[in-house]
Amino acid sequence: MALTPQILGALQDIVGPAGLVVSAEGRLTYECDMHTFYKGAPDAVVLPESAAQVAAIVRLCRREHVPIVPRGSGTGLIGGAMAPEGGVMVSMTRMNRIVELDFPNRCATVEPGLINLWLSQATRDRGYFFAPDPSSQMVSSIGGNASTNAGGPHCLKYGITVNHVLGLEVVTGAGELVRLGGKAHERPGYDLTGVMVGAEGTLGLVTGVIVRLTHLPEGVKTILASFPTIEDASEAVSAIIRAGIIPAALEMLDEVVIRAIEEGVGAGYPKGAGAVLLIELDGPTAEIEAQSGPIEAICRDHLALEIRVAQSEAERALLWKGRKEAAGVFGRLTPNWLLQDAVVPRSKLPQIMKEVLAIGARHRLVIANVFHAGDGNLHPLICYDDRVPGELERAKQANEELLGACLRLGGSVTGEHGVGLDKRASLPMQFADADLDFMARLRRVFDPDSIMNPGKLLPSHPACGEGFRPAARPLPAGTWI
Amino acid sequence: MAVSTVAVHGALADIAGREHCLRDPAALASYAIDGMIPAAVVRPASADEVSRLVALCAAERLTVTPRGAGTSMALGNPPRRLEVVIELSRMRAVREYVPEDMVATVEAGATLDQLAAHFAPHRQALTLDPPGGGARSVGGVLATHASGPLRFRYGTGRDLLLGARFVQADGALTWGGAKVVKSVTGYDVPKLLVGSLGTLGVLVETTLRLHPTPPASRSWRLGFPSREAAGAFLAGLLDSPLQPDRAALLDGAALRRAGLAVDPIGLLLSISSAAEAVEHQGRALARLGASHGGRSDQAPDRAWTGLGGAVDGPILLRAIGESRRLLEWVGEAHAAAARAGVEVMLLAQPGHGVLQISIGDGFDAARVVGDLVLPLRRALEAEGGSLILERGPIEIKAKCDVWGHIDPEVFTIMSRIKTEFDPGGVLNPGRFVGGL
Repeated sequence: MALTPQILGALQDIVGPAGLVVSAEGRLTYECDMHTFYKGAPDAVVLPESAAQVAAIVRLCRREHVPIVPRGSGTGLIGGAMAPEGGVMVSMTRMNRIVELDFPNRCATVEPGLINLWLSQATRDRGYFFAPDPSSQMVSSIGGNASTNAGGPHCLKYGITVNHVLGLEVVTGAGELVRLGGKAHERPGYDLTGVMVGAEGTLGLVTGVIVRLTHLPEGVKTILASFPTIEDASEAVSAIIRAGIIPAALEMLDEVVIRAIEEGVGAGYPKGAGAVLLIELDGPTAEIEAQSGPIEAICRDHLALEIRVAQSEAERALLWKGRKEAAGVFGRLTPNWLLQDAVVPRSKLPQIMKEVLAIGARHRLVIANVFHAGDGNLHPLICYDDRVPGELERAKQANEELLGACLRLGGSVTGEHGVGLDKRASLPMQFADADLDFMARLRRVFDPDSIMNPGKLLPSHPACGEGFRPAARPLPAGTWI
Repeated sequence: MAVSTVAVHGALADIAGREHCLRDPAALASYAIDGMIPAAVVRPASADEVSRLVALCAAERLTVTPRGAGTSMALGNPPRRLEVVIELSRMRAVREYVPEDMVATVEAGATLDQLAAHFAPHRQALTLDPPGGGARSVGGVLATHASGPLRFRYGTGRDLLLGARFVQADGALTWGGAKVVKSVTGYDVPKLLVGSLGTLGVLVETTLRLHPTPPASRSWRLGFPSREAAGAFLAGLLDSPLQPDRAALLDGAALRRAGLAVDPIGLLLSISSAAEAVEHQGRALARLGASHGGRSDQAPDRAWTGLGGAVDGPILLRAIGESRRLLEWVGEAHAAAARAGVEVMLLAQPGHGVLQISIGDGFDAARVVGDLVLPLRRALEAEGGSLILERGPIEIKAKCDVWGHIDPEVFTIMSRIKTEFDPGGVLNPGRFVGGL
């Protein structure tokens, strides 16, 4: 839909000329998130500077029945921050301030466009950090993290974004500017903060966030263990959890990924191994020491080829650099890929990894794996080449089979990336009609006119299926999973 | 009232069985809420029975009040109507538990003590410990968002509930969330149910995150000569890398009631980890205490179960403010109690800014409300906090709202949610915020 000059004029009155993008080239920058299959440029992009401006935008769009798509840094992986039906995209990049650091209350108030890592950098000297650490944390925004309920490697110990959001300022789809939750850790009434986190902008726009700050641990120990096969590594993960040890992070990388990382960023991962576990312990030093012995023993029991402990902060940072930039080096592996982030119960990890290998073999496709093993949160990357006839179809089939296998084992469609446009057709695999109906009605409470990020998160929207356009090279530099 | 008709009683009994459908007046009287006696109490055996019972009640325009172990029925405004109580005491099964997953799916009527015994052989635990709450049902603990000292490390039910099966006001059996530790598929419906007092659905089955039980644990009681000293210690503790798993703060009266050595202010802390780490952190804790004029003694683990006594008065208030202001609110509470002429015991969740104020017998309702509840509530609300009447006799509830003020725009959204999912006011009408 094209916006009338009157609507564009009204938008400009709200955000000023510098806050409005209407040119075709300008809008093209916003046509997709990191899931570049899904393309849809908005008719206009607005860059508000305050919650009041956001509220005015929503009220205008509501009156004019114009769809609104919120966008943080655009690093999502689900076709979330793109506009399949056009409309107005609200980019939060100009609202990126730290409003307040409140160390006595161990919390911070920030604007939604603030980059995740900046908050940890701003609080480190005082001994604190912001615990949710999606691999995109150098560029993704806290508002985006909250809207997708982002995870990350250290969520194994520290919990996902929702566990760190104390309060939100939001503009609902009905145009209400409200403050939910706050510095007080409880509040009478329904937990609207909890509902809004992870809603992917379908209930409203986040204009402010109060987050917990976590005290830095006394010590950190990062261990790299390599294994002959991914099955051995999976069994080791299960054994560590079974021993009652919850490391801060427990990440798995398979042979394909290790090779690509070494060729790309060179993190010093052993090249010949079938799989690598990156295990991080943090907390009181005495606790780390008490836990690292048993972990190393478990790894040895599961045929570890090498166990290496990072000896310096530089070495530790290098090991993590390999993991956090893993997806960015996938361009070395494959011209195209499908990525999902389904979850299985932790005990089913060895079983699902066997299935992943079998599915890849059956469809003659390479499936690369780099994932949050401790949480059972997979990231199978199904590699294909869309220039080869039939490969995309085989990749999609493999993707479906993988998802089905995860759900049959009692898992979930998405562990941290979210649903967006990409996975909404899969929701009926996990939820019955009554469950989906409950969610649809909840959405209507916040967004009575269905203007908020339409077509996302829930299935059976008219736009379903549109927008799936394989791009020639769907691998933007620096993608994070 | 329609429910008194033989037909409806018969229909309830047809679903749950005659022996599980109470109608004897003496038995029903023990289910009274704020003096109101229900017309029937039914004890279903399954989610399906709950679904059929609620559907029947909705069709007959009867209200449904869910009940777990019955320990927190005093929470909430007086019911607008009270007709059929659905008691979940027969639904206590552990439905799924694979220890390696550290996740369990249990029926909502399962009690915390029962679950603790179930998970202990695997050295795992559901880390919810509301004071005096071992007999409480997990559904009730979640629906009331009750928490205890373990919150310090593990959070509350909000952080532990992964998935929930519930019965909506029309009887529809509905599932939200997932059975794995990480899922962002769809809206986080379980969050909506935690603390909703059964006003959006009857919880029938919950999937919960468990935690490993650390190999060693030790508890300390730290006594301080003043609020200021305790406050400085607490600020130092929170600003340190020390990692207690349980924390409680008590005033002198509460310490006495809990059977602990008495000081003006005391903290009960435990550290649970590898044995060496417990020793090491314990020494650091004692040093930090001493540097703020505190004395520390080891406390037996049973000290934690004694905390229930500190909150068992006929009136219980829950003050919630910014955590850094906790000790100041302790002072405000003591001053207000003196004005109202009542004895109080205080039990707090340090680091979370939650202060429970237990008021003993021999109070004057008008003075409690006028000199304590309302002024303290006004002061807390002015700072973004709140004051809830967790428990109190009807003469107190008649004089003040149980939940206090809620921002009208936020309340409008809550009200729309309630209207969307329970337009007929079937579920627990009147008791939740704003009479929802």
